[in-house]
Amino acid sequence: MAHALREKVAISGLGETAYTRGSDKSGLALQLEASLRAIDDAGLGPRDIDGVIPYFPGGGIAEDFVANLGLPDLKLSLFVPMGGATCVAALQSAAMAVASRVCNHVLISVGRTGYSGARVATRLQQFPQFALAAEFEAPIGLFAPAQLYAQGARRHMALYGTTIRHFAEVAVVTRRHALLNGNAVMNKPLTVEEHHASRMIADPFRLFDCSLESDGGAAVIVSATDRARALKKPLVTLMGVAEGHPESPASIAQRPDLLEFGLAKAAPRAYAMAGVGPKDMDLAEIYDCFTFTVINQLELLGFCKKGEGGPFVMDGRIALGGELPINTHGGLLSQGHVVGLNHVIELTRQLRGEAGKAQVEDAELGLVTGYGDMGDGSLAILRRAA
Amino acid sequence: MSATANPAAVERPLPTTPTRDSRPYWDGLRQGKLVLQHCASCGRVRHYPRPVCPHCFSMESSFREAPLGGAIHTWTVCHHPFNFFFKAQVPYIVALVDMDAGVRVNAPLRGVAETDIRIGQGVRLRFEPVSEEVTLPYFTVP
Repeated sequence: MAHALREKVAISGLGETAYTRGSDKSGLALQLEASLRAIDDAGLGPRDIDGVIPYFPGGGIAEDFVANLGLPDLKLSLFVPMGGATCVAALQSAAMAVASRVCNHVLISVGRTGYSGARVATRLQQFPQFALAAEFEAPIGLFAPAQLYAQGARRHMALYGTTIRHFAEVAVVTRRHALLNGNAVMNKPLTVEEHHASRMIADPFRLFDCSLESDGGAAVIVSATDRARALKKPLVTLMGVAEGHPESPASIAQRPDLLEFGLAKAAPRAYAMAGVGPKDMDLAEIYDCFTFTVINQLELLGFCKKGEGGPFVMDGRIALGGELPINTHGGLLSQGHVVGLNHVIELTRQLRGEAGKAQVEDAELGLVTGYGDMGDGSLAILRRAA
Repeated sequence: MSATANPAAVERPLPTTPTRDSRPYWDGLRQGKLVLQHCASCGRVRHYPRPVCPHCFSMESSFREAPLGGAIHTWTVCHHPFNFFFKAQVPYIVALVDMDAGVRVNAPLRGVAETDIRIGQGVRLRFEPVSEEVTLPYFTVP
């Protein structure tokens, strides 16, 4: 029997601000600007929104949405505290809310001043989930995700022979894709040599292995399929969605296998719900806080075996025109860092046929992942409705 | 006070909020011992300290001294400091070590060239007092 949520829910509206380095707007203003665009994209009015899931911590909260958008009857206010896995996991929470008719239209949104405001090591201190790392790992010199995730990357290299050439391929391909969309922070091509020559951040991660600190806002609207069908844009439905939480969720150090995290649990559930597998995907938008993170997730998603993610990304396979185009918008590495809500937006755009120069021909089915908060994972599978 | 106004005064980030659960671990380090939490019911060791045993759900536990040996699970070399205090320390190696006691400890690895590190290499935990209250762990190759 089909899963109760499968195809019952659609992504009905998409909104983004410009992605920039530097902004005179607050994170909240960027979040609201993107939200208004998403509402307009759907053909709705602000007062139609009756559920909000803002990214937290940072940016606006429900009170801000009621006050700014004049929401007459907000019925649901949620946080999904999963760091980089938040936005895709929020699709699951929103889906439950609209499929059950608790809400009509749920707004998921992010506003971030990652360049002009607090940087990553400071932002992390706002997370209750960071308390363990703050007590045990910050004093010995580990503060930032780059450092905390570098140890897993180093182990993958030692166990499986993964190389910085593989990392570079992810960075270079992603940059090439970013140059196609007209709204990316990075606007010059990147070569493998430039990647290798970039300064070391936390070995084995160089500068160009790390995602951007940027300013911007992004928003999507989730509506029940029957309601979305009556709206403005081509229908893109949620086939499968799941979130997963790893062992030792607040400490990577104590996790039995550093290379197995929440996505390993979420992926089989999302695939089963959708009734499809990795081989069916026309494209994939993979949360790319680091180049290596993409390689690791491709394995957990079943596109290749454990340890084979490095070779998998080579030879044009993940580029537009290849077997599995990934991060067709430039991702967090080259487009902008809005915690991966830009990945959800890009996948939906691709399935609508609105992806411009980056359009994957006849894209019908794709997936998008979230990854963060020391290893939480999330996966959504979307399909263009017939 | 701005940290940039007087960089010489930048202080090391310390574990300022040991919890009721973790206090014995930090007390142990100060005494030059690795002291780990063991379940009073099933006997299993757990780290970082927490109120409930995830195996048998007992809330009773005791802290016992553990051996200092271990083997490198993985490592990173930090070049970008992300923190004013560590600006003067970079580059520094942080090794994640499988302790013989059955838990992992993440701590600086000293006295080893970056190119000589390998997974499985034996290391020994040592103690560095950084204030009257706090002693931090680090590793050396025996």
